[in-house]
Amino acid sequence: MGKQDRWGLDVSTWAARLENPISARLRDPATTGYLGIVLGAFAAFIAIPPIEARTITWPTLVGLVAIALGIWTVTRGRRRLGWGAVASGLLGIGLGILATRSSAGNLNSAFDATLVAQTLGFATPLVFAAMGGIFSERSGVVNIGLEGMMLMGAFWGVYGADKGGSWVVGLLLAAGVGGVTALVYAFFAIQLRADQIVGGTAINFLAVGITGFFFVLLYNNSPIPNGVSLLPNVHIPGLPGFLGDSIGDLNILTWASFALVILAFLVLFKTTIGLRIRACGEHPRAADTVGINVYAIRYACVTLSGVLAAIGGMYLSEGPLGNGFFQFNMTNGRGFIALAAVIFGNWRPFGAFWAAILFGFADALALKLQVYSDSASTLFHVLPYVLTLVAVAGVIGRTVAPAADGKPYSKQ
Amino acid sequence: MTAPGQSPSPPAPPEPEFGDPGTLAARLAIKQRAGGIVVPIITVVLAIFISILVVAATEHSFHTSLLAFQEIFRGTGLNWIVHPTTNLQTSIPAYNLSQTLLQTSTLILTGLAVAFAFRCGMFNIGGQGQYLVGLLVANWIGVSFAGMNPLAHVLFAMVGGTLAAAAYAGIAGVLKATVGAHEVISTIMLNWIAYWTASWLLGVGGPLQDSSNPTSPVSKQVVPGARLPDFWGNQGFQGVHIGFFIALSCVVVFYVLINRTTLGYEVRAVGFNPDAAAYGGINVKKNLIRAMAISGAFAGLAGAIDMLGGTTNYQFGQLDIPFSQVGFIGIAVALLGRNTAVGTLLAAFLFGALLYGSFHGLGASSVIDPSLATNLTYIIQGLIVLFIGADVLILSVWNSRKKLRWRWGSKTVGAST
Amino acid sequence: MADDLVLEMRDIRKEFPGVVANDGVSFDVRRGEVHALLGENGAGKSTLMNILYGLYRPDGGEIVLKGKAVSFSSAREAIEAGIGMVHQHFMLIPVMTVAENIVLGTEPVKGGVFLDESAADKRVTEMAKSFKFAVDPDALVEDISVGQQQRVEIMKALYRNADLLILDEPTAVLTPQEAEDLFEILRGLQREGFSIIFISHKLNEVLEIADRITVLRRGKTIETVPREGATEESLARAMVGRDVLLRVEKEPAKPGDVLLEVRDLHVRDDRDIEKVRGLSFDVRAGEIVGIAGVDGNGQTELIDALTGLQKIESGTATIAGRELMHATARDALDAGVGHIPEDRQRRGLVLEFSIAENIALHDYAEPPDARFGWLFPGRMISRARTLIREFDVRGGGPLTRAGGLSGGNQQKVIAAREIARDPKVLIAAQPTRGLDVGAIEYLHRRLVTERDEGRAILLVSLELEEILSLSDRILVIYEGEIVGEHTGDVSEQQIGLEMLGGREKTAA
Repeated sequence: MGKQDRWGLDVSTWAARLENPISARLRDPATTGYLGIVLGAFAAFIAIPPIEARTITWPTLVGLVAIALGIWTVTRGRRRLGWGAVASGLLGIGLGILATRSSAGNLNSAFDATLVAQTLGFATPLVFAAMGGIFSERSGVVNIGLEGMMLMGAFWGVYGADKGGSWVVGLLLAAGVGGVTALVYAFFAIQLRADQIVGGTAINFLAVGITGFFFVLLYNNSPIPNGVSLLPNVHIPGLPGFLGDSIGDLNILTWASFALVILAFLVLFKTTIGLRIRACGEHPRAADTVGINVYAIRYACVTLSGVLAAIGGMYLSEGPLGNGFFQFNMTNGRGFIALAAVIFGNWRPFGAFWAAILFGFADALALKLQVYSDSASTLFHVLPYVLTLVAVAGVIGRTVAPAADGKPYSKQ
Repeated sequence: MTAPGQSPSPPAPPEPEFGDPGTLAARLAIKQRAGGIVVPIITVVLAIFISILVVAATEHSFHTSLLAFQEIFRGTGLNWIVHPTTNLQTSIPAYNLSQTLLQTSTLILTGLAVAFAFRCGMFNIGGQGQYLVGLLVANWIGVSFAGMNPLAHVLFAMVGGTLAAAAYAGIAGVLKATVGAHEVISTIMLNWIAYWTASWLLGVGGPLQDSSNPTSPVSKQVVPGARLPDFWGNQGFQGVHIGFFIALSCVVVFYVLINRTTLGYEVRAVGFNPDAAAYGGINVKKNLIRAMAISGAFAGLAGAIDMLGGTTNYQFGQLDIPFSQVGFIGIAVALLGRNTAVGTLLAAFLFGALLYGSFHGLGASSVIDPSLATNLTYIIQGLIVLFIGADVLILSVWNSRKKLRWRWGSKTVGAST
Repeated sequence: MADDLVLEMRDIRKEFPGVVANDGVSFDVRRGEVHALLGENGAGKSTLMNILYGLYRPDGGEIVLKGKAVSFSSAREAIEAGIGMVHQHFMLIPVMTVAENIVLGTEPVKGGVFLDESAADKRVTEMAKSFKFAVDPDALVEDISVGQQQRVEIMKALYRNADLLILDEPTAVLTPQEAEDLFEILRGLQREGFSIIFISHKLNEVLEIADRITVLRRGKTIETVPREGATEESLARAMVGRDVLLRVEKEPAKPGDVLLEVRDLHVRDDRDIEKVRGLSFDVRAGEIVGIAGVDGNGQTELIDALTGLQKIESGTATIAGRELMHATARDALDAGVGHIPEDRQRRGLVLEFSIAENIALHDYAEPPDARFGWLFPGRMISRARTLIREFDVRGGGPLTRAGGLSGGNQQKVIAAREIARDPKVLIAAQPTRGLDVGAIEYLHRRLVTERDEGRAILLVSLELEEILSLSDRILVIYEGEIVGEHTGDVSEQQIGLEMLGGREKTAA
């Protein structure tokens, strides 16, 4: 029997929690806390399409319930979670009221089905990079260089599609370059036991320099031709209105990202190799003593993270938003948002996925809300970073990194 | 045997093996002791050497590559030594040197920022964000309050920028002290929060944007009364302003703080071993916050000085390294300089020279495509940081030299070392 | 006789930078025997076993396992050859379950790549039943007791079909009762034909469980003797090379005023679990009070509370009449508490600082070392020089990095610093852990000297021998409470029983 709460109920895992009787579950402060946060978000959601309630009553009511749950949670001991729910409730009421004040026309243009599509689109590169980050960190190697690896993918993906004539070539080249970049980082971090954050920062510098250098060298006088083979969208015919606009025309990589998340989860938590990877990240010496090759696993995971990050980066240039063009320092911090998603998602594939969706939503919203105010919508870009700060501040429970994350391992 | 819910503590982790220290500051200190000044020099030489090869490969000519690096050298203005003169208008080397010094003073400060945090065991990647904060606040103060006494105005703007950046960095310190949030994560997040906030502030329609220039994200000009005076050259032609001396004096301040004050003692103790520091009566949390704040102050001062002395308005999104990357280059500077006062000074000069030399020296010439120069700088920088992080490699090569010598000595009869 | 040998290690040599860990060690194990490897810290026992287990490569010598010469380059090879090792510091992953830890590396699979969790659970349960262990395969390792964790480690080895087991200081973390349970398990395994190598530095245990005993000293084999005929004294002499004073000579104590008064103290640890549950005791000037107990019963939290490093939940602690209320470390220091911490490298010293800076660790902000925030390194150095002389610290001068000193000298620096502050109460936690005999003798003598100077000394140690030989009064702590108090002669057995929570039955 694992951890118990003060009523003697098994609260060691969510599965156990779910098996407790409902009355007990409601008494569990963790449940009420999370519920409060969700209700706060829902309060804002009520005021926007599709529900689009136009009076402030509903958002306010729901928000008040959220605040109440938050206070309950605080008094039952989970202080940070409780105050988070209170904050969420307040925010929800505020946003809901704002939304009711705005014109219906603006609301409808901001909150329509394409918002979903754009959210998924913005999230795609993040998901790829985040999955890569999870593998790397779960094996015990911090990867601050995701940003640089994404950038490499963005450039070399276009180059490959251009010179190779097809996006497939671009994809392979991007993956390859990403892998090689990660391999270099892995060598320094694992073999030479260099400080991993310094190494990652170096990779980011190098990536900016290398991609910029070759961009100028190869394309300065003859820019990237129009009509370079792009990553294709997957058109699903015959879908009704909302579905059609939201998921009817998503990019192939977006669909691939969904599969990737499921795959990552299965590999990490259901296979033997996943068990070993996690062992390397928690207690490498223990893994070593049972005969696991810690170095090899770490090398493999870091290289994989480079491959995935590069593919995600390629989406930026070769996907629907990039249209086959590369710009200097194109990633502009997305690698760090992906890292934030990993942390926010507590190093779990589904957690990071939802975090990436949330962050993608913020980006999409920033674009849509330009209908209100061009400049203020820029501020939405800070959302992923603020949310991550909130996460590491432990509002949403503790984020627990793999125990040996970032510590170089040395056999003797 | 034990009450439910209580798990007895598992055995303590093994004692450090062969003196392997746990903290970041201790690891860096070991590297410093082991390599002295040789290792940084080798690192830089190696990085430049590889870059020469890169250029040679892409230009298909070793000669071109060497020429390129010669242009970089000319760009730094170091050849000013040969014909010293104070006339900036007529002497290109003098002008180059003056600009190099300007670049250096910024890097000194952002380097000191990172170095100070490292001394306390923390990795401040947020120098760029803190720099931005200092820059923006100084801009705002410098733009408003026109008609204020110039000395007071300048001081107010500088202090304001510095304190604002200190508070901004302090956020990361508070997060670390209270909830143990890793400062690398928090400062990275803060960097981007600052970036996007600046984007909003200076963007079209934003509060600090220069409304007379509606399509361009440029800040308003600082009023003439609030600018830092030049001591070499004149304002109009971008002379060297007294910010350079401010930066130099900060080097001294850094040294004194770290080595001669109780604050420095506490910072070092916490950096090397927070457990022992706590046991010794030192308030670890207070010091974490304090160190991050001081670190941010240095970076913010850099931003303030650049705003008040250099170009006196700021265009957002400028990809010019001087503004958009100085915080990150500060990391390289601190690492290369081994987090010491003098080391940071020298490393800042190296990077300042490298930056200005490749930007404008190489950029102005036609040896190779100028925009290649920008990126070359990034590559060199990246290589230096990469090798510094892995100076274990260089160290082991250096140490095996000694071992080889010893082995040779013992094998050869009567040989002297 | 020879084909009875399951293992022979001949003339093993292993060098590390600056030290010869194994210098021509020879050692063999018969089938079905428990063979103890005895030696002090640094004698080379762990190194030898790490070589056998494939974690180190020997620089010389050979290993013959079951008649065949072998050379392992990894733990995996040693495991495949039937060697299993239970490390002193458990190689278990806290956040994973018992079953996952046991099968790691040789997991049962289904469908080629997927982990077969139910098969793993089943195998673990079956194995536990056959060896009469009681473990829950789904429990997280961080949630089970230390004794159970050790059993999991043993099961790890058995799961991989080991027939030669190496146990490295297995009783270091166990209560006497748990140690007895372990011995039962070992005897059971012996009966099944397993051979066991038992590494220890505890004489009494070795005499209880081993069939043969090999003593190592400074990397060399000194002797191999059967259990019959060996005594604690003979073994100790072999371990150290001379007659060892197993008890410290001291005058009877002359206790004076109460300098440390603890009343109904309650302290919680960092995880908010109450670890000290209503402790009350006194320590007077001129006496040494020893607190005996198994690690984890509240000693650490008690010391943290007395030194201001942990909050006092309720109750009082008074130092020479001054109550420690909401005290910080600084307050405790000012009140007159001196503390020799149990982890000298983690708590007691900043290894990167010089000796002078370390000696100034408590007082760096006060004159003469500093004034108004300005440091005077020169004064720190001269003060350090005096103390180095007085405490006979060897290995460097005031400017030497503390990390460059040996363990014993590091401990002397700490002792010098604490004692030089003239504390009223001196708390010594595990003061001789990891030290060689010479340093141990010095520190014990010093503690007695300070006692005679009129200080109140609180000694907390996991080594019963140390407590018994130094203390004037002994308190036994169990689960955060004092369960026994003794003056005068008391047997180890009785203390051991109390450490476990049992109490002596009063004679009818």
